[in-house]
Amino acid sequence: MLQFPPWKVLLVLVVLIWGIVMALPNVMNMSNAPGFLPKQSVNLGLDLRGGVYLEMEIPPAEVISSRLSVFARDVRSAFARTSDREPIYFQPELRGRTMLIKLSRPDADGNFPVEEALRRLDRINGPIEGGLAGGKTFEMTRAGQDGILVSVSAASESAMLADALSKTMTIVRRRVDPDGVAEISLTPSGNNRIVLEAPGEPDPERLKTLLSRDGRMTFNLVETSPADIASAQAGIVKPGFRLLEGPETGPLLVREIPEVVGADIATASQGNDEANRPQINFRLNANGARKFYETTRNNSGKLFAIVLDDVIMSAPRINEPIPGGNVRITGSFTIEEAQDLAAIIAAGEMPAKVQFLDQRVVSSTLGEDSIESGFRAAVVGLSLVAFFMILAYGLQGMFAVLSLVANVILIFAALSLLGATLTLPGIAGIILTIGMAVDANVLVFERVREEQNNGRSIWTAVQAGYERALITILDANITTLFAAIILYSLGSGPVKGFAVTLALGIITSVFTAFVFTRMMTVFWLKTFKTKRLAV
Amino acid sequence: MLIKYWPKETKIPFMRYRYVGVVLSLIMMVGSIYLVMTRGLNLGVDFAGGSVVELRQTDTVTVADVRSQIPGGLTVNSATDANGAELVVIRFGEVEGSLLGPEFAALTDEEKADRASAASNTFVVKTIKQAFNLTDEDILRNDSVGPKVSGELFREGLIALGVATLMMFFYIAFRYTWAYAVGGIAALIHDAIGTIGLFSLLQIQFDLTSIAALLTIIGYSVNDSVVVFDRIREIRRKYKQMPATEVIDIATNQTLSRTFLTGGTTIIAVMAIVIFGGPVLQGMSVAMIWGIVIGTYSSIYFAAAIVLMLGVDINRKPVEDTPGFEAMP
Repeated sequence: MLQFPPWKVLLVLVVLIWGIVMALPNVMNMSNAPGFLPKQSVNLGLDLRGGVYLEMEIPPAEVISSRLSVFARDVRSAFARTSDREPIYFQPELRGRTMLIKLSRPDADGNFPVEEALRRLDRINGPIEGGLAGGKTFEMTRAGQDGILVSVSAASESAMLADALSKTMTIVRRRVDPDGVAEISLTPSGNNRIVLEAPGEPDPERLKTLLSRDGRMTFNLVETSPADIASAQAGIVKPGFRLLEGPETGPLLVREIPEVVGADIATASQGNDEANRPQINFRLNANGARKFYETTRNNSGKLFAIVLDDVIMSAPRINEPIPGGNVRITGSFTIEEAQDLAAIIAAGEMPAKVQFLDQRVVSSTLGEDSIESGFRAAVVGLSLVAFFMILAYGLQGMFAVLSLVANVILIFAALSLLGATLTLPGIAGIILTIGMAVDANVLVFERVREEQNNGRSIWTAVQAGYERALITILDANITTLFAAIILYSLGSGPVKGFAVTLALGIITSVFTAFVFTRMMTVFWLKTFKTKRLAV
Repeated sequence: MLIKYWPKETKIPFMRYRYVGVVLSLIMMVGSIYLVMTRGLNLGVDFAGGSVVELRQTDTVTVADVRSQIPGGLTVNSATDANGAELVVIRFGEVEGSLLGPEFAALTDEEKADRASAASNTFVVKTIKQAFNLTDEDILRNDSVGPKVSGELFREGLIALGVATLMMFFYIAFRYTWAYAVGGIAALIHDAIGTIGLFSLLQIQFDLTSIAALLTIIGYSVNDSVVVFDRIREIRRKYKQMPATEVIDIATNQTLSRTFLTGGTTIIAVMAIVIFGGPVLQGMSVAMIWGIVIGTYSSIYFAAAIVLMLGVDINRKPVEDTPGFEAMP
């Protein structure tokens, strides 16, 4: 216990110096320091820097029903008449998580061709994506003599959710940070949730508007007859057409089936028109450009509506065929609106509309205040504990205080090393650790004091003190470590930060209190040949 | 230094008064439960759902102004931040559906239930910004928790407390015996209930940081109990014939100075957070101080007293000496 061979001393010193080097960027600007030194200070949580925390959910029911409605289109083509087979007439009926395919025409004998329908459905029913377990995407069961119920198994549902989650994450990132420069963090949580943290962003509403759009972009030809619009407004829409509105265009009848869709768009960005007003430029990919050219060539004189999420953005008149696939939307946008719309269009369509579950917004001024008050509390706490320890134990107390300082430095070094985030409750965790870290020292000192009182010599007293206190220290700290680990796994933002500093503090405090203080004590005893420790 | 004025050997007969201690503890626990049932807990938005918005108070933005500007159903209060600045704190659940615009009105009832909280937040913040001509930076804090998440957070918080308790039970049982585990866990539950009682008594906001405080107190409580247990075990090994009451008394007396010193430094550190840490941490820290106080008390009068009732013996096998330990003369 009291032997410190040179390698041990060296090891302790290396750990401490490493800690100081790692923690240094937190107290001084290291940008001009030599290259091998770390320059990154500890990550600050949103509550200390200010910013937006947004938790959103992809509703499973919506993911499933949108997949079912895509499947309904596949069914339509699988049941269609081809050169070598008869069509099957049916009516799809979406019922939330299931779809009923109701066959509408029996054959000559009055039987519905359910068997044939099941065979054709089986052919278009692919295996579960990304699933190792196998199984088909949809489950088909007969429902009565004329129906087939399409449902989704649990395994398939989780595959769909996983797919929707990763797609949504990509789209969220592209929408919020189209240039890839912002320091946002996106974390999946559970199987259908995403946590978005955007430091420095003051306005949650902008993010929410940006993310709540479906981003379904289409180009539809317009039917212009005023009589048709009037009758559509009265409730009688011409088959194959839809009545849509636009802030610039008013109500228009557009063809239900679009000519060009979002998947045909290659890029989108904000630009300026001739009068220097913001507009949205986009380029279509080869396929889209060809379709766009053909449509404009064949429909000269008609209006061509650019539709985003069922709202007509603009509907310019086709004057001439447009080759090349460069298209723009003009309108009365602010620069920010145009940028956001461009990001939405470029990012593509969300698999399902996200729902916002909770948000936490902290302004940067409040964050600065929090850092200030947290720092003040830490300094005051440390000074008071130091004063108390020195008052109680004198020189040994001084050693304990040095250990305490080393402990705080090591906590910061460990935070940097792990890339963990410091939050306001995290600062509270450090302060709490300052209070509790002396426990290990106190346990040892009290033991040494007892041993001395029992008439032991100083060396045996110190030896016995450290030996006997060790088990108690470990037992006592492991239980607190349990609490910290559970707190971390419960973890929501700031509280997680508390758990991290508490856990790190427990580990580093055992090291500093048990190893570093002991080393200092041994050196003191050796150097000054003290006869009795004043504890 | 001053520690030398602490008596070398205290001989307080703790266990003689153990029934007084147990009765006091029971009274406190029953009182706490009664308080929670009658006064309830002041649940924060984390658990209750809804929104809280904080603004800086100025000559033109006062509590009364804010109250008059936003249509019904909102609680507006003032508060002081860590640096003494006055704040306006607006707390609300869901505002009247008719205020939320046609888009909201078009939703189904189920969607409305899910989105009302978020939509209300948007509406209130927008109204305030317009009424007082504020920018984003003037909204100091804006938290909004939907009903789905608040329920989950509460459940997860309870689960965390439960799992922590179980883990500690098994750890103590593994290191000592079931009797010690029961004693340690009883003390832990005692401290948790007592702290929740304080939350109810002072109506301190109960939110996620309170769960953090409770878990810390649980950790501290067990930490404290383990120190006493450790000493009981040690003394038991040395003096096999000594009556259990005496063993526990000696153990608590020998660890008494440590108990006070560690409790003292921890309370000093947490006190610094109460005074300088600002309103976010204040409630949590006040609860922690109380938790440390009753945690210290309960490790003697609850944990040790229960161990005394259930039996202090560590094992029935012949006691083996821990290596490196010499028997006392």
